[in-house]
Amino acid sequence: MEIMRLVVTGPVGAGKSTFIRSVSEIEVVDTDRRATDETLMLKKRTTVAFDFGRLQFGPEMALHLYGTPGQSRFDFMWDILIRKAHAYILLVAAHRPHEFRSARRILGFMKQRSQIPMIIGLTHTDCPGAWDAENIAIALGYLDANRCPPIITVNPNQSASVAEAVIALVQHSMQGCLV
Amino acid sequence: MAITGYLAEFSLAEMFQFLEQGCKTGLLNICALTGSGVEGQKNHYIWFNQGRIVAAASSLNQQGLVTMIGQRGWLGDRAASRLSQTCTIGTPMGLCLKAQGALTAEQLKLLFYSQVMRQVCALFELGDGWFQFDPKVPLPAAEMTGLSAPATEVTLAGLRALKDWSALADKLPDSTSALISIIDGKPQLRLNQVEWQVWEFTSGSVSLSAIANQLRLPVEKIQQVAFRLVVSALAEEIPLIAEPISLTPETEPAELSVAPTEASAVSQSFLQNLVGFLRGKV
Ligand SMILES: Nc1nc2c(ncn2[C@@H]2O[C@H](COP(=O)(O)OP(=O)(O)O)[C@@H](O)[C@H]2O)c(=O)[nH]1
Ligand SMILES: [Mg+2]
Repeated sequence: MEIMRLVVTGPVGAGKSTFIRSVSEIEVVDTDRRATDETLMLKKRTTVAFDFGRLQFGPEMALHLYGTPGQSRFDFMWDILIRKAHAYILLVAAHRPHEFRSARRILGFMKQRSQIPMIIGLTHTDCPGAWDAENIAIALGYLDANRCPPIITVNPNQSASVAEAVIALVQHSMQGCLV
Repeated sequence: MAITGYLAEFSLAEMFQFLEQGCKTGLLNICALTGSGVEGQKNHYIWFNQGRIVAAASSLNQQGLVTMIGQRGWLGDRAASRLSQTCTIGTPMGLCLKAQGALTAEQLKLLFYSQVMRQVCALFELGDGWFQFDPKVPLPAAEMTGLSAPATEVTLAGLRALKDWSALADKLPDSTSALISIIDGKPQLRLNQVEWQVWEFTSGSVSLSAIANQLRLPVEKIQQVAFRLVVSALAEEIPLIAEPISLTPETEPAELSVAPTEASAVSQSFLQNLVGFLRGKV
């Protein structure tokens, strides 16, 4: 089985859980089947502290999505998640400048530990008071447009929009260091 | 696009950092909410040119600078406005009066100090207020001395004098976080002693509580200094991992135990299939 692991991170309320829910299709696994790693995985699913989603798109091909834990504590779980991930998306609620500093804190953590490809997804752009992408980039510390990661708009409640965001992330990582 | 919000959400320090780093030009209007009703509201206006503060006033009547000059007895209102008639449109009034020999460079500095440094620094004390930044507003030549200061320099001064930090409590870097320098070499801004001491630790590996221990200062104090270094764009907060990593089967979540320790490359055909599949969902 070939698996690509994507991490979905961002401040609380950015839309991580909704994003993962919109894209994944976790089917019920026949428990009579021999106990593969996967069934074990599903049984323990409810006990873990982060969101997990899966999208199987071929007999031997699956996409796994992991949402970082809600609290702002950066524990070992974060470390495991990013070390095993191929790429990540940072979700930022465009209408909540209150959280920009927290998004920056997450970026600081991620950049320090991992060089994997990443993009930024702006959520809540449909809400009043939403900042535009150019200004959010500045608020997140990306002052040079040439050195800024791709910034896209995504509505986690719409699965088509989430699919587009995942395409953007996958395509960005194809240009990067994956292959 | 105008940006609006509340200082309780996006603090003045963050706003100044944003305006400086974005090299913004325009007018920042702050409406202090001190009481209820219209009487409880007080407006402050701060003009920016390319991320630098060029003027401040408490009204838009363009009379602030002339009044200040008059109050100091340097030039009567009438004389000042008569002289300013001869200024080229768009020339800062201060520079124009200096060119005509009506004010000295030293007087301009004093004016700028009271108009910008003192007035704006005091705004850091505001508990809450509504703000709007409008990039379309032209610069007010009549309120300008011709001097300017980087927004973050004003922030540093304002936060150094700040007594009550409660409004910024959840903005401060965490005591478990480290700081990392984001500039080349040493800061150009003039730092005070404790800021230099904390600056020495901007290697990205020492937590603020450890710095506090070494410097024998309360950790809150170090968090405040760290916040100043962050909002003046000298350093960035780097969260450190709270617990030491020990990967046992119990601690590692089940989803991930099936995964290798390091992400292994996925094939080109996998990625193409995935993109093709997702396109079908769009
Ligand atoms: N209007 C709107 N609501 C959104 C958007 N993204 C997320 N939400 C809502 O924001 C709330 C928080 O989302 P959630 O996925 O729980 O955030 P999390 O804390 O990052 O996991 C939910 O009610 C979502 O439906 C968006 O782009 N627009
Ligand atoms: Mg969630």
